Parts: sequence; structure tokens; C-alpha cells
Amino acid sequence: MTDLNSGVDRELLPTATPARTRAAVLELLRPHRGLAIGGFAVMIGATAIGLLTQPLLGHIVDLVASRSALDSLTVPVILLVAVAVVQGGATGLGLSLIARLGETALARLRERFVGRALRLPLEQVEKAGSGDLTARVTGDVAQVAEAMRTALPELARSVLVIVLTMVALAVVDWRFLLAALLAVPFQAHTARWYVRNAVPLYARQRIAGGAQQQQLLESIGGAATVRAFRMENEHVERVTERSRRAVDLTMRGVWLVLRFYSRLHVAEYIGLAAVLVAGFLMVRSGMTSIGTATAAALYFHGLFGPVNTALVLIDDAQSAAASLARLVGVIDQPEPPERTAEATATPEEAVAVAGLGHAYEPGRPVLHGIDLTIGRGERVALVGASGAGKTTLARLIAGVHVPVTGSVRFGARERVAMITQDVHVFAGSLAADLRLARPGATDAELREALTRVDALTWAETLPEGLDTIVGEGGHRLTATQVQQIALARLILTDPPIAVLDEATAEAGSAGARVLEKAIDQAIEGRTALIVAHRLSQAATTDRVVVMDDGRIVQTGHHNDLHTTDGPYAALWNTWTGHRTTSDPDFPNSADSPGTATSPDATRSPESLSSSDLPDSPDRRYH
Amino acid sequence: MGGGREVLWRAVRGQRRDVLVGSLLGAGHQAGEVAVPVLIGVVIDQAVASGDLTALLGWLAALAAVYVGLSFSFRYGARAGERAAEQAGHELRLELVRRVLDPRGGAEQGRLPGALTTIATEDAKRVGAVNMAAIMGIGALFGVLVGAVVLLRISLPLGLLVLLGTPLLLLAGHLLSKPLERRSDAEQERAAHASGVAADLVTGLRVLKGIGAESAAVARYQRTSRESLVATLRAARAEAWQYGMVLALTGGFIAVVALIGGRLALQGDISLGQLVSAVGLALFLLGPLEVFSWVNAELAQGRASATRIADVLTTPPAVAPREGAESRAGNSAGLPEAGALSPGALPHPVRGELRLRGVRCDGLTLDLHVSPGEILGVVATDPAHATTLLRCLGRQTDPDAGVIELDGVPLTGVDPADLRLEVLVAEHDADLFEGTLRSNVAASDGALERVLVAAGVDEVARGLPLGVDAPVIERGRSLSGGQRQRVALARALAADRAVLVLHDPTTAVDTVTEARIAGGLREIRQGRTTIVVTTSPALLAITDRVVLLDAGRVADAAPHADLVRRNAVYRGAVLA
Repeated sequence: MTDLNSGVDRELLPTATPARTRAAVLELLRPHRGLAIGGFAVMIGATAIGLLTQPLLGHIVDLVASRSALDSLTVPVILLVAVAVVQGGATGLGLSLIARLGETALARLRERFVGRALRLPLEQVEKAGSGDLTARVTGDVAQVAEAMRTALPELARSVLVIVLTMVALAVVDWRFLLAALLAVPFQAHTARWYVRNAVPLYARQRIAGGAQQQQLLESIGGAATVRAFRMENEHVERVTERSRRAVDLTMRGVWLVLRFYSRLHVAEYIGLAAVLVAGFLMVRSGMTSIGTATAAALYFHGLFGPVNTALVLIDDAQSAAASLARLVGVIDQPEPPERTAEATATPEEAVAVAGLGHAYEPGRPVLHGIDLTIGRGERVALVGASGAGKTTLARLIAGVHVPVTGSVRFGARERVAMITQDVHVFAGSLAADLRLARPGATDAELREALTRVDALTWAETLPEGLDTIVGEGGHRLTATQVQQIALARLILTDPPIAVLDEATAEAGSAGARVLEKAIDQAIEGRTALIVAHRLSQAATTDRVVVMDDGRIVQTGHHNDLHTTDGPYAALWNTWTGHRTTSDPDFPNSADSPGTATSPDATRSPESLSSSDLPDSPDRRYH
Repeated sequence: MGGGREVLWRAVRGQRRDVLVGSLLGAGHQAGEVAVPVLIGVVIDQAVASGDLTALLGWLAALAAVYVGLSFSFRYGARAGERAAEQAGHELRLELVRRVLDPRGGAEQGRLPGALTTIATEDAKRVGAVNMAAIMGIGALFGVLVGAVVLLRISLPLGLLVLLGTPLLLLAGHLLSKPLERRSDAEQERAAHASGVAADLVTGLRVLKGIGAESAAVARYQRTSRESLVATLRAARAEAWQYGMVLALTGGFIAVVALIGGRLALQGDISLGQLVSAVGLALFLLGPLEVFSWVNAELAQGRASATRIADVLTTPPAVAPREGAESRAGNSAGLPEAGALSPGALPHPVRGELRLRGVRCDGLTLDLHVSPGEILGVVATDPAHATTLLRCLGRQTDPDAGVIELDGVPLTGVDPADLRLEVLVAEHDADLFEGTLRSNVAASDGALERVLVAAGVDEVARGLPLGVDAPVIERGRSLSGGQRQRVALARALAADRAVLVLHDPTTAVDTVTEARIAGGLREIRQGRTTIVVTTSPALLAITDRVVLLDAGRVADAAPHADLVRRNAVYRGAVLA
């Protein structure tokens, strides 16, 4: 796990090429072709109608210049009102159509993304670091959504206004268009300058924003610890520092945008002066009317807003495209191949492991030539010191990793479920959490599963029973309860083969005993491989497999192994050794010498039947 | 709502200098923007219509001067506004974090850390943004006023029309954005929920993979996403139609201005140039009016965000600061009866004598005395009782009845912040923080080596390339469960409190290390009150005395060895 520290040469999840991203977007929009065409057509119509305002106003100027009758104003004014109403209505309709298009496509995008993300091979996710996937799920999805919701419609609206105004200017008189285009080189140069400076700055801004978010999550999520250790001030300081940094970078971005606008003001002035000079010259030489010159000037004046909007949004569009590429990169990952493990030789064999070897990093093998066959319905315990390779073997059998050498074969149609050290309660109701394991489960089935792991009693005393919200932000459960839920999920999944990796480790020792009983229930009738932390668990299995340094060093039944000189007996003695009260190493145990060997202590505790621990009591307690 | 308004008002008042500067410069910018269409009219009137080149050059120079002015006032005005927005957001963020981390607690109850983080980032930002909205609104208002004055000078009826028409338009815009405010609330919550569900599923990816529940999880996310879509679509539709209606109203308004202006020009009351200026001004007014509707939407969102922030800030604390001092916090929390207890301060130094008298809390009924310097083991047959006891000792909650005294002073009479300088409850699931092993343990230089050895962190450090300076990522996720647990224990020992309460500190470490840690703990806490809530025999063996909690009561109390010998329930709980 320490590999997270290095983080330099991590194999990040893939990012799609721009071409592939475009294709993916088109794919998303294709089912809504009608909506897309309709929405954009309405928006074009609305914008075009809106642009009738300036010629109508110009017409009124001409009417005044030619001293027409008062009544002649009625028609253009009525038309102006009509334009306003139609433009307003069409814009409302167009925007809501486009919003529907965007939001629906967005929903499909995020659903496909989450769908694929959850099916990525665990190995790939771990290599990339879990932060990569989480950042895409939260940050990138939000970035694309934000762009789809605000930047895109605004950009589309602005571009439409710009293009159609250009067309209108050309219709009025092409020479006005030429004059107006004088501003374009300045605008283009400014936009290039802006993007060149903005992209790296905004990348830093996002990193600072992420760091701030992370600090907030850490300080808020760990509030209880912060309070217990009186680290409140330190954490407020940490948040202050990160927030201050994010604010500083935002202000630098703001200053950049403002300088950008200042440069655009220059372009505006040049274009406007050019249009006015053109009007002056053309009216003087009788090529156009005063009203037309007025309309042209008004058109150009009306371009200021949309041009500024479009140029400043280029950057938003760019970051949204980058996020989109990161989402499409994951969506495009091939469906992981179905596990096509060969069948075992005989149906009596549930799992057959042959010549299995594995290395997380090339040249640093952690498993060597493992051969192991587990019979149908057999319970096998994997024991050994930390780092012996137990977890790796369990994960290879559960299919989390693909072995470097050797093979894992299963009996016909066997399915493996695994409970790992990582525990997680899903945010939502307890019933919803359990139904992840069996979506169609009835309440009775849920209760039955909880009963078998001895969890129904506490589950029913929760504030709202099985409907109580648990997980992050919900009702807090103890480590034991969390593991009981994991075991209840296992029962509901009902796999023929169960792999349990130190399912009791984090629960605390009182919980561990509750859990050992629950595990017993959960693996009833299944083939089970248990990575045993507590050796009392190993003692109850059919077979114990002892591992050391990536190899199997001993196998056999507990009864035989713990009496034979060898690695298991050594482990057993260490373990039971600390089940005594007479260890001379402990300063305060001197007042209770040898008590554990007294007849009283030899009676087995009630929680275990004598058949569970067939060894003689004196060996258990010295 | 009242709280929300107060938060909003404070956010603006705190930045009044920047808001003032921004508003003044914003007004200057708007005046410049008004001058542009006026000058266009003048150019057409004085130069284009008459063909006077000198006039053209002169007025173009004037236009250039206006541009310089408006550009600069915009640049510095907007900077002041954004600074005010960011600064206010920053200050609110810190206020929220201070409230959440307040020793009295309570703020995070019933709220996801993710949701609280969103409030501290997004909502704080939205409230801060109200400053910018206010500046833009004031600038736009000034622009409208200047435009109206110019129009009034051109013609009284035209000017009046604009002066009366604009507020009516504003009112309409405000009425239209009211439903948006309510919808945007619901939408934001939904959207946050969908993104929260996705992140939660990704966090639990290994668990999902373990039981092959990927499809079920995908189906669940799809449902959430669809629900969120429905809510978002409703809000987006409302927003689109609001925008369309504002557009139609504004267009109609300009038509009326053109009609009146045109008639006045035809009657000879105003010149052609004045008509062009008037029409240009009416068109220009579109800008400020759109700003008004944007400002309205910003204020609506700001109000919704301010309410959420106020909700967090005014959450009643989980425990009162001190009996008799609740009035300072002004909370309405259901605090336990104070009885005849008087507020008191802890003696210095604290000897570490704990006495629980008739304590009742969540099914626990407890009378217990812990002598100063005693190392006490607590074994609870029900883990929930252990948790309750820990919460009471750490004053995360106060018992329903009874008294807990430290050196004779009731805990409820001690400020939780002061109490925690003397009593440390190190919980089983304590978090580590981003930094290094060293920064997490936070021991003074002299004590570092001792606590590292006692907690078995020396071994952890040896396995890491940078030793005690090895980086630890957020929440300690770069370490394994056993490593985390040892570092957390070292931190608890390094804090060196008069009373240390440890909860299952060694469950994820192997037995050999556990034995070492037990010895180290005994040595390092010699003579200091220590309570170890555990069922680990290795740890219990080093205690002076063990209390067995069964069915929520003290069932037995004696040294570990005696209990092992005489109490079957104890053996069942500890040795099985």
C-alpha cells in the first residue's frame, strides 16, 4: 500500500483522443437528433428574428429623416413588438429544448461512465490510484455538466448572434462588413494571448481547488479526532492556507480576464470608428442612407457583448473538452473479458491452483509455485506472518489479479465472492445496502440474512429499523456491525465459493468473537478460503495452509499441525502465549502467577463448543 | 431565513471598502457605456449627416477618450468586486470550518462530510459572489439612471418613460425569478445527491467487486441519475422561459421608446441625432437590464446558499460549553438537567481521579471509580456500551443522568476544550491527516523516540523509505490498517494527557507486535490514569484492574488474572 506514496509513474486511467471524444459526443446526441435539430433551428430563428430590431429602428430613423407622416411609425413599431414577443417565445422554447438535449445527454454520459467505471478491473483502478477514478467521478463530471448547463448555451447563443449579425451587416452593405472586420485581427490576437496564459493558470487553479477540497474533507471528516487532540487551530490554519492559495490564484485569473477585456475594448473602438468612418464616407458619396449607416453602427455596437462572451468562454469549453476526454477514456475501456477459467479435473474439486506465481512489480515476486486444491464444501484457513503472501493468494483465487504464472481453475459454474479488509457501508438505507448483494431480495430474506449473522437484533433497534440511513453521514455503525453487514451481503449473494480476508481484523476483539460465529454461519454450505488472523479461527477449519515468504510451507489439520514441530506450531505458541496472564515480560502480572493453569481456567468458555477446540486446555493457556 | 439574511448581510458589510470602490468604478464604466451610443448619435448627426470631416475626427477622438475611461474603470472596478467576492467566500469558509471543529461539536451531526464540504466551498462562494452581483447591479442601476438623465435632457416624456418603465421591468424580472429560487434549491440538492452516490460507490468499489454487485450498483446509480435529471430539467425549463420572457418584455419596452421618440422627432421636438441616441440608449439599456435579471438570479442563489450556511452555523452544540454558561451560546439543545452542580475549573495539575456516579446513557448504568494513576481495563460484552462510555468520557455527549467527575469536578462544568487538554479519548477509528508520520505523531523531539517505540511505529518507519518523514496522504490512506492504528496510538501517547482513554488500539496488528505494544504502554503511562477499553488479553494483562461491563452494568471488577479465574462471562468475552 505504500506505493501510493511514490505516485510518480502511476499508470493513470486512459484519456480519449479529441477525435474519439467528438465521436462519443455525437454518439450520445444521435438518439436525440430530432431534439438537437429542432432546438438549434428554433435558436437560429430566434436570433435571426431578434436581428430585425436594428433595421426596424434604422427604418424609423429614415422615416424621420424623410419627414414622413406620424402614422407611418405604427407599422415598424408593431413589428418591433412582434419581434420582441416572437424572439422571447422562441428563445424560451429553444433554450429549454437545448437544455433537455444537453441534460439528457449528460445523464447518459455520467451513467455510462459510472457503469464502466464500476466494471473496471480492480487491478487497473489500483494502479492508477483510487484518487484518479474518484476525481473523474466528481470533478470531471461536474466540469462537463457546468459547461453543458451554462457555457455551451451561452457560447451557442453568442456565436449565433455574431454570425447572423455579420450576415446582416453584409446584407445592409458589404462595405460595412469589411469595416467591421478590421477589429477581427485584434480580437484574434487577444484571444490567442488569453488562452495561452489562461490554460496553465486555470490548471493550477484547479489543483489548488482540489487541494482545498481535500483539506476540507479531511478536517471536516476527521472533526472528532481534531477535537479530541485539540488540533482545531492547526486545522483551521491548514484550511486557511489552502483556501488563501485558491483565492490568490482565482484573483490572478480574474486579473487576466480583466486585462483581456481591456484589450478587447481597443478592438471594439477600432471597429466602431471604422464603421462610423465608412458610414461617413458612404453617406457623403451618396452610396447609402443615414438610416442604413445608423443600422450598421447599431449592429456593430450590438456585437460587443456576444463577442466578449464567446471569447471568454473559449477557455471554459477547452477545460470541459479535457474533462470529457477523461470520461470518454474510461467509457471506451473494453469490457473486461469474462473469467474463462478452465474447469477443474473432477467436480469434487471446487478450486484447483497450479504453479501459481505473482509479482506486483516485475522482479519482485511475492508468490512462488503455489499448488493448492480445495474440495467442494471444504473450509481452508490460510495462516502465516504478515507479508507471507496470504492476501495475494486469496486475491488471485478471487480473480482480483491475473496471476503472472500458473493457473486457477474452478469446478463447473463456480462463482467466487470475497470479503476483504476494506469495509464500506454504502450511503443510503441499510436495506438498500443489503439489496446491492441481491437486488430483488424481499424484506424477509434480508431479515433472514441478518438473523444468521446475529445482526437482526441491533438492526431492528436502529431508529428506523432496516430503513435507517447508514454509511457516510448516516447512522454510525460499529466496526463489528459493519462486518456483520458484509457477511449478510455474502449470504445474500450466495456464492458457492467464499474467500474471506481478515474479515475480523478491524472489529476489535469483542467483535471478533461475534464475527467468528457470523462467519461460520455465512460460509455454511460453501467452499471457503479464510485468511485467518486469529488462530482460533484456523482451528475450526478442515485444513490449515501455512504460508511463509510466498510459499506454502505446511498443510494439514490443526490437530495434527499444532502438536508437530514446525511453522504452525510456532505460530500457535506465539498466539496462545499471549492468551496467558503470566508473561514475566509484563511488569504488573507478577501478582497473578500461574493462575491460567488452575483448574478453573481450563474450562472452555461457553461461546465455543468443545469440538471447536479439540486441543487440551493446558496447551491453550500454558 | 433570518439567519440566511444575516449571513448575506455580513458577507457584504465585511467587504464594504471593495464594494464601495467597485460600485463607484462600475458606475463610471456604465456612464462610459452610456456615452458610446450617445456619441454614435452625435457622430451621425454632426458628421455623417452633414459631411463635416473635422467634426468626425473631433468626435472620434472624444469616443476614444470615453473608451479609455470605461476600460480602466471596468478593469479596476471588477477587480475590486471579485476581490470582495473571493474574500467574503474565504471568510465564510473559515467560519464554517471553525464551527464544525468547535469543541462543543454538533455541526456535523446528520450531515455528510461531503455535503458540509460543498457548503464550505460552493455555498460560501455563492454568498461571496453576492458582492460582485451587488456591484454589477449598482453599476447597472447607475447606467440606467445616466441613460435616463440623458434621455430626460433630450426629451422629458422619453426620459420619464424610461425612468418609470425600468423599475416595472425590474419588478417583473424579480417576480419571475422567485420560483427559480425554490427550484434551484431542490435541483442543487438532487445533483449533489447523484454525485455523492457515484463517489460513494467508487469508494466501495472493492466491496462491490468482492460480491459481484457491480450491476446492482450501476442500476442504483442509474435510478439516482434519472431522478436528478428530472429535477434538473424542471429547473432548466423554468430558467429558459424566464430568460425568454425578460427578452420579450425588454424588446417591447424598446419598441415603445422608439414609438414615442419617433413621434417626437417627427413633430420636431427632438433632432434626428437625438432620436438615434435615444434608440441607441434604449438598446444599450438591454445590457443593464439583463444584468438586473442576472443579479436577481445570483441573489436568489446567494440567499439559498446563505440559508444553508446559517443552518450549519446555528446548529446547537452537542454538549453545552459549561453548565450555567449555555446562555453565551444561545442554543436550544436539549441539555441534561444541571441539578445542583456549580461550574468549576479543573485543578492544576490534574491528578486524574475519575468518578462516575449513577451515570445513565444509552442503556448504560454506571458507578465507577478510577484512582489517580491507575491503569484500568474495561471489557464490555456489548461493543455499543463501550462506545457510549467513550463518548461520555470525551464529552461528545453528556449522560442522560448522573455525574462524571474528574478530580471532583463534574465534567459538565468544564469547557470541553479545556477538558480535552486533560482527557484524551483515542477512538478506534481515529483519522490520520495528510503530512508525515512525524507530523501525525506530533511529539516533542525528546518524546518522539519513546512513543514511537512504545506504539510499535519504529517498526513501521523502518519499512518506509523515508522513515518517520515518510509522507502520509489524506486520512492516512497510504498506510495499511495496522500501520495506521500504530501511528494513531503513538499520537495518543505523545499527547501525554493526564487521563488517556484508549479504545481497541491494537486490533489490526499481529500478536507479536501487540505484546510489545502492551509492554510499552504500561511503561510509558506508568503513574498516569489510563483506561483501556478492549478485550485483548495481552492489553488487559498489563492493567491494574479490569471492569467487566455486562448488560450495561458493572458485573465484576478485579485484576485480569482473577477475572479469568473466577468469571465465566469474562473468559467468554476475552479468551475465546
